[in-house]
Amino acid sequence: MEYVNPEGLRLDGRRPMEMRQLRAEIGVVSRADGSAAFEMGNTKVIAAVYGPREVQNRSQQMNDQALVRCEYSMANFSTGDRRRKTKGDRRSTEISLVIRQTMEACILTHLMPRSQIDIYVQVLQADGGTRSACINAATLALADAGIPMRDLVTSCSAGYLNSTPLLDLNYLEDSAGGADVTVGILPKMDKVTLLQMDAKLPMDIFENVMQLAVEGCKAVESYIREILLENAKMLEIRRGA
Amino acid sequence: MVGLSVGEKNFIKHGIAQDLRNDGRKRLTYRPIYVETGVIPQANGSARVKLGATDVIASVKAELGRPSASHPDQGKVSIYVECSPTAEPSFEGRGGEEFSAELSTALELCLLGGKSGAGAGIDPSSLSIKEGKVCWDLYVDCLVISSDGNLLDALGAAIKAALSNTGIPRVQVREAASSDEQADVDVSDEEFLQFDTNGVPVIVTLTKAGRHYIVDATSEEESLMSSAVSISVNRQGIICGLTKRGGAGLDPSVILDMISVAKHVSEQLINKLDSEIEAAERANEEEP
Amino acid sequence: MRGIQLSFSNTQKLRLEKALAQLESISSKVNSNATVIVADTIPVDEDAALKGHGTLEMGKNVIATVCGVVERVNKLVYVRSLRARYKPEIGDIIVGRVIEVAPKRWRLEINFSQDAVLMLSSMNLPDGIQRRRTAVDELNMRSIFVESDVICAEVRGFQHDGSLHLQARSQKYGKLERGKLLKIPPYLVKRRKQHFHHLDQYGVDLIFGCNGFIWVGEHVDVKDAMVEDQVNKPDPQNTNSASLLGSSEEPTYTPLETRQYICRIANAITVFSALSFMVNLEAVIETVTLSLSLNLGVHEMLEAEFHVQVAEQEAERRCTSSRRK
Repeated sequence: MEYVNPEGLRLDGRRPMEMRQLRAEIGVVSRADGSAAFEMGNTKVIAAVYGPREVQNRSQQMNDQALVRCEYSMANFSTGDRRRKTKGDRRSTEISLVIRQTMEACILTHLMPRSQIDIYVQVLQADGGTRSACINAATLALADAGIPMRDLVTSCSAGYLNSTPLLDLNYLEDSAGGADVTVGILPKMDKVTLLQMDAKLPMDIFENVMQLAVEGCKAVESYIREILLENAKMLEIRRGA
Repeated sequence: MVGLSVGEKNFIKHGIAQDLRNDGRKRLTYRPIYVETGVIPQANGSARVKLGATDVIASVKAELGRPSASHPDQGKVSIYVECSPTAEPSFEGRGGEEFSAELSTALELCLLGGKSGAGAGIDPSSLSIKEGKVCWDLYVDCLVISSDGNLLDALGAAIKAALSNTGIPRVQVREAASSDEQADVDVSDEEFLQFDTNGVPVIVTLTKAGRHYIVDATSEEESLMSSAVSISVNRQGIICGLTKRGGAGLDPSVILDMISVAKHVSEQLINKLDSEIEAAERANEEEP
Repeated sequence: MRGIQLSFSNTQKLRLEKALAQLESISSKVNSNATVIVADTIPVDEDAALKGHGTLEMGKNVIATVCGVVERVNKLVYVRSLRARYKPEIGDIIVGRVIEVAPKRWRLEINFSQDAVLMLSSMNLPDGIQRRRTAVDELNMRSIFVESDVICAEVRGFQHDGSLHLQARSQKYGKLERGKLLKIPPYLVKRRKQHFHHLDQYGVDLIFGCNGFIWVGEHVDVKDAMVEDQVNKPDPQNTNSASLLGSSEEPTYTPLETRQYICRIANAITVFSALSFMVNLEAVIETVTLSLSLNLGVHEMLEAEFHVQVAEQEAERRCTSSRRK
């Protein structure tokens, strides 16, 4: 099947190095300490952060740092075919673990000992790149909750089909059988914090694809930065002296 | 959720007795309802309803299936509710399962009919394509994103809005060689039939606190309720279903009174909801 | 906007934007440049500068760890975060809810990263005598506070593990009943000299907790500790018996008018919190007067039109106060 036509356009009309449209909104769940909705094309994700608050399970309490917990769940209607099991299956558990580890690395947990931070990510629509959208939404929600972090974490995916590196795969491109590289970076520190790939790629092509994904992460970062700065300015103006 | 102190509960109860609730509403006033349709483009129909701080999404997916042997001329409808942990940390893992199951059952009771399929708010015989062979299976999936009380009413409104947004593809049935074989169907990609939602009821939940009942309770008010009755009423004023929650016993005359109050309130609610759904559909069309 | 979804008509949107633009024009220019988000570099003059809260030293740069505004006081550079959990300071007046009754102490939830502790010894005994707490007192802790009670207290200090110690020794602290508890983000409450407000004209008590919990309730006279305890006894008994009977014949009803004022004040504070304006007494009273002058029903205060009017009023108020300066 042709994923990149001779003119260089993909199935949805994008160019190979073009990302899908990003849209973010802060403060969607009023009850949570911090929340955000993030959209990458048709992939829609909501993240809510509760914390830092008292640890609910005494046995898990850590005396010198905060406990970070994460749960990833997909809505029944999020995929094309109706999902039977929305959470607790292996994919969800793995993604919960991945998000937790990624965010834990950037949260300054030692500033909030004996407390617990809960990150809940809910996928409303899945069209490829859910992992990345979840991490981006979680970063926004954590910043909204005022939780101190070393750096923002942004994530993006890239693949290789029809001998072309493609940025930000959607579901059709992802299920085509080519490689799918998901990268998460700490942009200011210029460090890679998440790197996952399935299928196989020759080494030199892998470098290209990973570089493309890192570029995508930087593009996401500038968008998130814009949103957060605008939000912070707005809050400060409204608050007044 | 952490409970309320005795002093606060008394304050709310006395407020209800004096017809001035905590946020200033009267006993039978609903919070403003906000409807958005078509939020899940992948589904056949979807809607998002916000009732105060309560936020729910309902989506309708239609799949082809075989009708059950006992009702060959009817399609199937199933309703499933899920509570996302974003609404409440206690919904994490399996914490929200019991509550979700309770909501799903209550919704099915209120919107779908009895075992014979009679008297349903959503008519299953309209979902039949070829008797005994092919029918539509409607899967109504709901997700609770944020909860501030009165989830049943919000879910009922969301399902009604999602159904009015639903487009069922037109089907052409190709005759099968023998009556045993699976009939071939051509599912059209372009033509859609709008679902008829005139008969779909809305759910009105009356919460009893002290000696009076209120409509559209917030989660604070729900924490001091003794019992709650949810009644689904359709536009014609016919009651389609009834559920009672809560441990306190109710005098039968009280229940009858609640039913008449619910019928009265439901008229305004149906009108408000219909106008909101229309506005949402118009907003969708205006968008490029 | 956070909270309840409001549907603004086009004219309302324009008016709201105009009011917000007015606020922007009078806001401090310094501040708007000093807004930072996570991982933004903070320009620091010399190495001698003290790096305070919200900053992190990364190599040669100082970066912000939260979204907020950079504040500089002499040599101290810190980032004042916006929406965050409560940051306690000693002497703060807070309002909290009891979660647990533990040996010799109560645990309270106060919107902090840990629960606060109120020791039995930091609380006045019901009979008012200053004496050593005995085992009998410990067994009778539930007669003072039970789970879910709303309490007003003061921050006494920090424990070694970072949790808070509270004290409620004065008569103005203690259990709060007959009213409503509101939760707003703590950064909207400014630390002032007075946090207890008694609004005579409405007969309403208003307590601004520094942790973002605000209590609005019917006025309760602060009982003098020196006066005989007879005044104390009838009240707890009444509320207890009423809760047992569950009847609405409680002799101490909150009169409807006071209740209306309580609901109006609560709604005014909710509107302020939805618009992210700083909450203070004068602004709240002005808002309530505005709603009364417009003859709005109590519930209509939560509608879109009133939000726009409050925004306009706030813009006016800040303009006039900045002109006066």
